[in-house]
Amino acid sequence: MKLRKLLLIALAVLLAAAPLVGQAKNIKVALILSGPANDQGWNAVALQGLKDAEAKYSIQTAYSENVGVADSEAAFMDYASQGYDLIIGHGFQYGDPAVRVAKKFPKIKFMAIEANSKADNVASYVIACEEAGYLMGMLSASMSKSGKIGMVGGIEQPSIIKVVEAYKLGAKAYNPKIQVLSAYIGSFTDVNLGKEAALAMADQGADVLSHIANQAGTGVIKAAEERGLLTTGDSWDQSVISPGAVVCSTIYNVPTLVMIAVDKVRSGSFKGGVFNLGMKDGVVDIAAYHDFDAKIAKKAKDMISDAKKKITAGSLKIPVVTTATK
Amino acid sequence: MSDTQGFAALLGELSTFAAASVRMAAPLLIAGLGEAISETAGILNIGLEGIMLSGAFAAFIVAWATQNVWLGIMAGIAGGMLASLLHALLGVGRRADQTITGLALNFLASGLTSYFFLMAFGRTTSLPECPVLPAVEIPLLSSIPFFGPVLFSQNPFVYFAFVATGLVWLLFRRSEWGVILHAAGENPHAADSAGLDVIRTRYVAAAANGCFGGLAGASITLGTLGFFMENVTSGKGYIALVVVILGRRQPFGVALAALLLGAADALQFRMQTGNSGIPSQVFIMFPYLMTVIVLLFSIGKTRDPASLGIPFDRGRR
Repeated sequence: MKLRKLLLIALAVLLAAAPLVGQAKNIKVALILSGPANDQGWNAVALQGLKDAEAKYSIQTAYSENVGVADSEAAFMDYASQGYDLIIGHGFQYGDPAVRVAKKFPKIKFMAIEANSKADNVASYVIACEEAGYLMGMLSASMSKSGKIGMVGGIEQPSIIKVVEAYKLGAKAYNPKIQVLSAYIGSFTDVNLGKEAALAMADQGADVLSHIANQAGTGVIKAAEERGLLTTGDSWDQSVISPGAVVCSTIYNVPTLVMIAVDKVRSGSFKGGVFNLGMKDGVVDIAAYHDFDAKIAKKAKDMISDAKKKITAGSLKIPVVTTATK
Repeated sequence: MSDTQGFAALLGELSTFAAASVRMAAPLLIAGLGEAISETAGILNIGLEGIMLSGAFAAFIVAWATQNVWLGIMAGIAGGMLASLLHALLGVGRRADQTITGLALNFLASGLTSYFFLMAFGRTTSLPECPVLPAVEIPLLSSIPFFGPVLFSQNPFVYFAFVATGLVWLLFRRSEWGVILHAAGENPHAADSAGLDVIRTRYVAAAANGCFGGLAGASITLGTLGFFMENVTSGKGYIALVVVILGRRQPFGVALAALLLGAADALQFRMQTGNSGIPSQVFIMFPYLMTVIVLLFSIGKTRDPASLGIPFDRGRR
């Protein structure tokens, strides 16, 4: 009887102490992705961030690919009940599901990238993608000979619309007469549709075709390559896909973002809320011009680097427009 | 003067739109023809998406490894046939439920191709590319105004789709095999009594379906994209099933339906870039809206083969 009591006490102490020991060195982080992890874009960079954090802090990681909105609550729930300390949903659509699940697991931290939901233990990290989109608009306008450029968006949702709109603003800032064609394909994965949307714009005379459509955007790059036109990449330096067509790319430094979140959970300074991170935080940037360095007009280069400096310094704010305009 | 210029511009826009419609219709048409053969023989294979995906992947991986498009096309056909024959093995040979088997085939193909793709290339950000079949301009014909760019400056898969439509029509209407095919789908027991081999006929129909579906998949990776991504067919197999129903399993009907849906797809981007202020979702819905409308108008006019989806069992009446 006494032995049993002693054992019970020992067990209770162990159980109570276990989380303390675990928290100090070995936190568990899970990542939820909307598409395949090898999409050469949006999801690929997020997984890279997770792997970087794993290498740096020897944390335990896991991830799920192709999680649709309908399954996302279950995915959060799964990881939460397995005792993960930080669960990251990589996309606007994961904000609400995170908040719903977070209520049931107050000790676990949730993070949604690009969302606008918040709770005590839910943080939304919004990447200021529009800052890079604005610069791409300037660049595209400067490279256009026909005076018409095109922008293909994925699904029409705030995180995508704000980039398309910033692109239009940037283009108009360089050349007020520029005509920007834009279309949404309603998918982040349908490469064929992405290509057809871009071809439709090329048919109408657009000679620089940009995209913000994750995996489907690869179709846009291919369309530009096929027609001998120019294009800009998105999420990472997509020049490798088609060095002769990709003038420049936006870079969303998602690895840094994931690192920031992991850091905060480790040090216990994680807070709920909506946080904006952009060029000044080193999260948003644009890639090198590579072979196009000599082909871009000096005026354009100066304007872009000037705008970049101002954005970083905070003196130029790119407006966040989340409803599509004409 | 400005009138003629305006007319020329309009004609130019119409011709690029029609060319895009034809280009987008081709994979639907090729896959639809195969499914029409299969359904005429009495096999309902809703695993068409899986067949196309298998074909798209097999074509890509072989074309990538050998850098030879033609070997890729042959592999695409083989990949599609393998998937279709697996369905036939269960749904014809083992008399399993064809709908469930078809569904399973879609999931299997999606999982397997993604897995093999991952095995082959890992999680990289580089894009493995394979050669593509370039568009072929047919001499003389391609210089006809309007029709030249629309019909005679396309990639070879498009030409194949047209030729195959005629061939399948001949097969259905002018050949003995067409009669046997219909007999197997309408009244397999009567066909059996008349000494026809129903099971063999259905296997051959399934193989033909795999061949066409595999080619349709190959047309995506080798005809338009030049690369593969997980789930690259993104639902085209399901749309092709709709095309078959809209076209009432008749080759020219299937061709018309494929062109209609291709045009609806091509139209949505041209209307979106027109800056009309209408939300993009309306345009994205367009092809599906079109399908619903056509289906509404054709209610009661279609008739399925009497034994569609029913496995043939000689001992049971």
